[in-house]
Order: sequence, then C-alpha cells, then structure tokens
Amino acid sequence: MRRLLSTAVAVALASGLSPAALADSVFVGHLVDYTGPTGFVGKTYGPGVKDAIDYVNAHGGIDGTMIELEQVDYAYKVPEAIATYKRWTSRNNMVAMQGWGTADTEALITFVAKDKIPVWSASYSGHLTDPTGKNPNTEKPAPYNFFYGPSYSDGCRAMVQWAADDAKEKGIEKPKFLHTGDNHPYPNAPKQACAEYAEELGFEVLPPVVVPMAPGDFKAQCLSIKDSGANYAFIGNLGGSVVSLLASCGTVGTDVTYMANIWGGDYKTIEASNAQNYIFPSASPFWGAEAPGMELVRKIYEEGSSDKSEKPTHHYIRGICSAFYMVEAMKWAKANGGITGENIKQGMYATADWVPEGLEGVCVPSTWTAEDHRGTTIVSVNRGSAVDGKAQIEQIATVELPRRDDWIGY
Amino acid sequence: MATTSLRPCGDFRTTYKADQYLLQTKWIGIWTFIAIGVLLLGPLVLDGYIISLLILIGIYGIAALGLNILVGMTGQISLGHAAFFGFGAFSSAWLNSTTGIPAILTIPLAGFMTTAIGMIFGIPAARIKGLYLAIATLASQFILQDFFARADWFSGGSSGSLADTVSLFGFAFDSDERYYYLVLFWTILSLVAVANMKRSRDGRALVAVRDHYLSAEIMGINLTKYRILAFGVSSFFAGLGGALFGHYLGYVSAEGFTILLSIQFLAMIIIGGLGSVMGTMLGAAFIVLLPQVMEALTSGMFAMFPETLATFSSGQAYIKEMSVGAAIILFLIFEPEGLAHRVKLIRQSWKLYPFSY
Repeated sequence: MRRLLSTAVAVALASGLSPAALADSVFVGHLVDYTGPTGFVGKTYGPGVKDAIDYVNAHGGIDGTMIELEQVDYAYKVPEAIATYKRWTSRNNMVAMQGWGTADTEALITFVAKDKIPVWSASYSGHLTDPTGKNPNTEKPAPYNFFYGPSYSDGCRAMVQWAADDAKEKGIEKPKFLHTGDNHPYPNAPKQACAEYAEELGFEVLPPVVVPMAPGDFKAQCLSIKDSGANYAFIGNLGGSVVSLLASCGTVGTDVTYMANIWGGDYKTIEASNAQNYIFPSASPFWGAEAPGMELVRKIYEEGSSDKSEKPTHHYIRGICSAFYMVEAMKWAKANGGITGENIKQGMYATADWVPEGLEGVCVPSTWTAEDHRGTTIVSVNRGSAVDGKAQIEQIATVELPRRDDWIGY
Repeated sequence: MATTSLRPCGDFRTTYKADQYLLQTKWIGIWTFIAIGVLLLGPLVLDGYIISLLILIGIYGIAALGLNILVGMTGQISLGHAAFFGFGAFSSAWLNSTTGIPAILTIPLAGFMTTAIGMIFGIPAARIKGLYLAIATLASQFILQDFFARADWFSGGSSGSLADTVSLFGFAFDSDERYYYLVLFWTILSLVAVANMKRSRDGRALVAVRDHYLSAEIMGINLTKYRILAFGVSSFFAGLGGALFGHYLGYVSAEGFTILLSIQFLAMIIIGGLGSVMGTMLGAAFIVLLPQVMEALTSGMFAMFPETLATFSSGQAYIKEMSVGAAIILFLIFEPEGLAHRVKLIRQSWKLYPFSY
C-alpha cells in the first residue's frame, strides 16, 4: 500500500512535466482514438478538431485568449478516459472538452454534468439529445453533452425517408427494411427508433442481422440478407467491418440498397470495399466541394499538422465544425461574464440557426436550446460508387426531419 | 526462487498456527496500520486526479483479486472477467432502481448475484481445463455482452442504465473524496478476506487443485465443487468491483465491459504476481498508472525537445501505446514472478545488507 502511494506521488511529479499554462489561456481537453478499435475514423476526425483549434490560436485566439488544447489518445479504453478527464478537471482547470466515442462519452455523462463542463462528442447517440429528461425513455438527461450533426437515430430516419421515396419511384409495393450491425450500444443506438419510423412509412421491418464489429468474412450474413428479401439494409457498424460486409455482399451478389450510419460512409470505405450505389448521410460538404466556407476549411488543413498523405474525409470537416461551434460559444462566453463551462453552455443557446463565422455552406445551420440538444435534423443523403478504384460521390437528396417531441432523446 | 523468510534472529515459530499469521511480525503490523492511516488521510492532501486514480486502482484491484483466485490460486484461466465485472455494475443499478434497496446494500448484493451467474458459467469448468476452458470463458464474455445489449429490462440495452449515488444514513458519497472511502473500505475488506481464504482449508484445496488435480482428487478434494467454488468466489469480487464502478460513474453502459478489459484484468494479475494478494493490488496500480505515466512522459518529452521531435509529433499517440506494450513485455521477460516477488526481494536485500544471504 505504501508503494502504491509513492507510485501515485511519482505520477504526480511526472505530470508536472507538462508545459506550463499560457498567460491568457483556457484549457480544453481532447480525447481521441488513433490506436484503438475505432481508429479507422478516429484518425480522420481528431486532426480536424486539432487543426481547427491550432488555426484559431494562430489567428488571435478567442479575442486574445488562447486555447490550450491537450490531445490524449485513450485507445477507446474507459478507465483511461476517466483518469484523463479527472486530471484535466483537477489539474488543468478545464472549461470544455472535445470527446470521441460512445464509451468515453457515456462514462463521463454524470461527471461533466456535476463539474459543469460542456462536451462536444463524436458520439451522436440519440439519448444524448435530451438535456432535461423530458422523454420518458431517457435513462439519463445529458445537460452538458453537445455534438454537431444529426443524431444516429435521425441519420437513420433520414435514410429510411429517402428509401421510402426511392421505393415509390421504383414501384415497390411494400418495401422491406432491415438493420445490420453488432449487438453493441453504438450500432444499436438507432435500431429501435429507426425501425419504428420505417413502419410508420409503410416498410415491412425484418429481423435484424448481427454483423460483428471486427472485420471478417461476412458471406454468411450476406446470404441471410439476400434470403430475407430485404430491399434496404441499414449498416450500423463502421470502418473495417463495413468494408468487409460490403465486399462480402458484393461477392455474394445481393440486390439490396445499403444505407449507412454517418461513420460508416466515406470515400475510404467505398474505395476499400469497391462499393456500388452505397447510400450514406453527411452533415457537411466533401473535400473538394465548392462552398463559401470551404476556403477556410482548406486554410485550416494547409496550416494544420495533420497527415497530408491522403485527402481528408468529411469526418475531418465535421471535426472542424465541432471545434468551431465550441469556439464561437467561448467567444460569446467571454463577452458575457467570462469563459466558464456554464457560460460556454449558455453560448450554445445564444443564437438560433447559426453557423460559425467563416464556415457558411460547410456546417449546417444548427440550433441548441436548454430543452433540446438536437443541433440539426437536416441530413444530406449521398450515393457513392467505386469507379476504377476511385470513389465517386454525389449528393442525391436533403432530408429535413420534423423536430418531433417524441423523438427527443430517442 | 528465493524463499528466505524475513524474520529477524530469534523470531521462530513452534506451531503451524503461528506460522499462518496474517501479520508475520510486529513491524509488519505497525507498518500496515501506518499505511492504512496514510490512505485514510489521502483525500485531505491529494488532488482530485490522484484520488480518482486511487479509486480506479481500488475498484480494478477488487475485481482482479477475484480473477487471481481463479487463475492464480486455482489455475483456471478465464477470459470473461470483464463481463462479470459488467454484470455486477448492471445488477447493482438494476436492483437499486427496481426494488428500491439502497445502493450501499445493492453493491454487495450485486456481488452475490454475480456469484450465481459465475457459478452457472463455471459448471463447464468442472469438466474441462486449459485451452478448452479459456474458450468456454471467452464464450461467457460474449454471451453476457450480448445479454447486456439485448436485455432492456435489466441493462437498458443500448441506452445504458442509471446508477444512483450511494449514501449511508443521509451521507452521500457524491464526490471523489467521499467515494474514495467507500472504495477503500471494500478494498481492505476484500484484501483481508482473500488473504484469509488463502490460509483456510478451502484455500489450500484450491491451491492443491491448481498444483495437481489428480493428487488433489486422490486426497479427497472434490474437484467439481472446488472448481465451481473458485468461479463463484471469483465472480463475487468481479461483481463487487463492477458495482462500485457503476455507482462511481453514475451511469452503466455495455461499452466498457469488452474483451479488452478482460485482457487488462489478466495483465494486472500476471504483472502483479499470480496467486499473490498484494501483487494483485500492485498489478492493478501498474495497469491503471502506466498509460498515465507514459502520457506524461511522452508529452513531457515533446514539450522539452519540440524541434528534435517535431517529425514525430503526430506519432505521439502511437509512441505512447507502443511504450505501454513494451513495458508490459519487458515486465514479463524480466519480472516473470510479478511485482509481488520483486517487492519481496527488495525487502530481503534490505534486511540482509551487506551480506547476500
């Protein structure tokens, strides 16, 4: 026990090595997963946040206040996320946090609410959108959790809505829909909400097919999908698992339209799996698109320290949006009583339908209120195909979902 | 293997009973109470970060103790410990929210619920050994994980479940400083319980099963009973640790109880020392602190030599992860007996200096 204490003291001394806080600065923690199971998309999202904050610091900070960003790769390990969070709150006086996955975000819900530290996660679980616990389904209100983009449930609902229109066009009487994904909180998050909406729109909802999150040979699952007679299949996984599934189903030859979760669709996935007519949502334009705000995105990328060997995915751009919403809220906080967690949270509510300055046409106009943390319910629907090994992606629809009360936190 | 005892001259035992004391000498006893005293004063001087690390060490240490009973004492490999840990977390939250039993009581009750589940999964263990058992416990990991994701009534499915604040007679353990004492209480209780179990008749039976099952059976030890018992006791501590973890976070989600955590538990007991009670705590401390130390070291390095290391700056995360892996591998090569053994050697050399024996 004595040794345990002295080890703890040694750690305390070791962490004293971190760079001294800057003169006029606020501390923001940034959890990333580069080396863990969600590294496939973590490696493209995390640099977006970091480059954006570096850019803000290089151009005057928050009206003169610098953001001290510390990035920690927690490799999707919950204990490490908790310990790191505690270090940031007790040692660095953290005012806000950029989080990453379902695991760390959910483990920290209670702590961030108690410590009044707003978090922008890259987990878009529907149950993070209910800050007051209004919906009887909400297990736990998450008043300090924000994210940029549609929730997993809304993303899936948008896919279903697009599929309903698509089925009408194709003249399918009673289209069949099924959910695929690992039996795991992240792929399961939209499962029920999405199935209910699909039934509302006249789909026949088939039993879900379990596809592991670890990449493998999924021909058996593809045969199940094929035999079920599904017209539309939603893919709840991400990364290598999606690549394996699409490749296996390509081999089996299923006549199914695959629709993805926002993390399951990007040019890398399409190219790696040689996918055809793959439908996936997005909440920003893609790299190379023209929009007024893309000028700034390119500048951030060029000045940033991220790996330049591959072009960024739209997750990188969402990372920039996530960081910039936080920065704008900090600006508001600074003008309204100082940059504290509570003021930053109020800064998120200050305006309706807003886009961070300079990112017009990149981030979707979003609104957060003290009652409703669904920033946006507008979802872009895209179709991607691999042609000669290169992904060709076009936007085919924009779905605007109603802000239904029974959908909050669900 | 050096087994020189640490007794000063003239301190010899004449009965088996005296040879079995928990606190072997007066000084070990004194130091133990000093250590407990220091730990009790901890929250008054340490900051929140260290306190939370100590809480995590305590929680994981309790669960790892259970695994050590199974793997270290009884020689039955288990790859499903994280699932039992998770089961304890969900059980406590579920019991507390459905029956209204206060959380302070549901924590040990969750341990008993997990014991029951552990014994059910332990039934195949009565018949199989080694690799086969490893695969069977791996199955239990996946079966339980699947159960967490599906059983909405029990675990809240994909939205997780809420674990209330623990309170005792109106005193709420709602801050890290307060929760620390709850964890410390259970940690000390668990350590004493397992240390006592090791010197009991049943504990010796478990060791006999590990050392040679055939001889043990010939001596009259009921293998089936003791193998299932080991699973049950092991699951109890996993469930207890899990329940403490759940109430610490206030929110339980199936995301945290994957095979990764099972492997971390195994790493804790291997690094700490198989079959050693104190070693388990040292191993838990090692696994919890290592990433933190590596993080501090790598970021410290990058802060001190920014120019030299600029080319590696994007690789800091990888350097850290590789260092963590390397540290574990080096440990297994140079400290195969675990940290507990090293501590013993240090104590011996201290005692015997300047002579070698």
